Amino acid sequence: MKRGDKLKTIMVVEDDNTIRDELKELLESSGYKAILLERFDNTLDDILNNKFDLLLLDINLPNINGELILHEFRKKSNTPVIIVTSRVKETDEVLSMSYGADDYITKPYNPTILLLRIANIFKRMENNTNKSYYDGVLVYQNKGMLIKDDKELDLTKNEMIIFSCLLSNRGNIVTRDELMTELWNNEEYVNENALTVNISRLRAKLEEFGIENAIETRKGQGYKLL
Amino acid sequence: MKFSKYLTDKYIEILLVIFGYIIVLMMLFAFKVSSEVIIGITIVFVIISFGVIITGYFKRRGFYNNLLNNVEKLDKKYLVLEMLNEPSFYDGKILYQVLYEINKSMNENVKQYEISLTDFKEYIELWIHEIKLPIASLTLMNHNQKNKIDKRYVEQIKRIDDYVDQILYFVRSENAEKDYLIKETSLKKIINNIAMKNKDDLLANNISFIVDIKDEMVLTDSKWLEFIINQIISNSIKYIRNDVDRIIKLKVEKLPKQIDLHIYDNGIGIPKKDIKRVFEKTFTGENGRNRTKSTGMGLYIVKKLCKKLGHKIMLRSVQNEYTEVIISFSENDFYKIKD
Repeated sequence: MKRGDKLKTIMVVEDDNTIRDELKELLESSGYKAILLERFDNTLDDILNNKFDLLLLDINLPNINGELILHEFRKKSNTPVIIVTSRVKETDEVLSMSYGADDYITKPYNPTILLLRIANIFKRMENNTNKSYYDGVLVYQNKGMLIKDDKELDLTKNEMIIFSCLLSNRGNIVTRDELMTELWNNEEYVNENALTVNISRLRAKLEEFGIENAIETRKGQGYKLL
Repeated sequence: MKFSKYLTDKYIEILLVIFGYIIVLMMLFAFKVSSEVIIGITIVFVIISFGVIITGYFKRRGFYNNLLNNVEKLDKKYLVLEMLNEPSFYDGKILYQVLYEINKSMNENVKQYEISLTDFKEYIELWIHEIKLPIASLTLMNHNQKNKIDKRYVEQIKRIDDYVDQILYFVRSENAEKDYLIKETSLKKIINNIAMKNKDDLLANNISFIVDIKDEMVLTDSKWLEFIINQIISNSIKYIRNDVDRIIKLKVEKLPKQIDLHIYDNGIGIPKKDIKRVFEKTFTGENGRNRTKSTGMGLYIVKKLCKKLGHKIMLRSVQNEYTEVIISFSENDFYKIKD
């Protein structure tokens, strides 16, 4: 989701026109480039002939089964694959995972969650879950620590999740709902009040650390990390 | 088969023999035959008559006793013909043939229902797969709107999706074939999926969602269990109480041979008279009638799915205090599949 980096390309293999177009819009508005496959008579070759960083693959496709495509695709490529399907059966998921899918999501999914899962896969690939930079400040996500010169700042798990989420969308507005989704996805089931408290605590900590007015509140919209 | 009853059943034949014997006797007297001959003829008469009756009886006794015995002992009585040999006497042969024909025709009849039921189930599964596409489209379209995302749409779409899932699992729970897969599953992960699904409802209703689960693994089908727990939590969200700090709490209790998952809420609870019946089909009870429209199917399906998966499910509640559902997973190495 980082702006400024080279755009990540995501290939969408989905035979439902509406979903396909909406997915393209969703991905593009989140800062990815989307390639769509619109004909399904030579699906596997068409996929292999494209260059992309991640594949969103449906299981029920015309002419060919997505699981089969995945199986063949894995023989030639290590590019991450997320299976997106309306089949709700354990056997399908187990089979897909054993064929080398990186994730398995059932339709209808919460779009924010889909984006989160995609972002997680890219993060894992780049191995930069640990370290990132905010101006001159080193951010250790796993340790929950910010380091500037010799000074250290400890953040709680919740504060770190909020800070990382704002950081990876720096300069853009992040809605409260997006922050909430990110927290809940990390098994932190906080409520609205707790979110507000966490944000003001994070602000206070940052201020004390010497980073002033970093988080801007946009009324009715969300927060922005400057 | 009782001899006395068989004998009474044969009274016409016996009367005829006696009648015949009297006529023969009268003729013998008329011809003034000597008494030795009369005694001889009488003995032959008696022996033949008894012989006919007794051989007839024993022929039938073997067949019918076998039949009665099997019908009594068999659990599936319609299989009785499989255990029977075709009898040697004529009326028995007719009965045997008729039973055979009836059985065959009933089998065909049942088979037809089976086929149409399987067809129906397959169609439902296919239909559900299809209906999920427009639901997914709507979710995405709503999200992609230029203006703010409208939570009211999200809520209604979620309702549709929940109802669709209910029919899917109803069909799966009614179906005789085994279409689940039991493997080691992380409870935490399932709970997280459910939490994400119900996040908006939980937040909108100001319910604290408390999860006290570490890395416990249970043997189950994760999709089925997700549906089961989601049904229970949907109920907890539906039947909240206004005068308390609302909570839904999930915790795990490890016992020597099993793992118990407790799902607790401090909602309106269930009246004592209704508790026993909550798992019954289409039972709605006082809460279901008074608060929201309820189909009475949710917990019924939950119970059936649990039974199939081999999980025990229990419900405790005190009206106006709490409701707690406990699902017990047995620890059985037999099922462990490493993936």
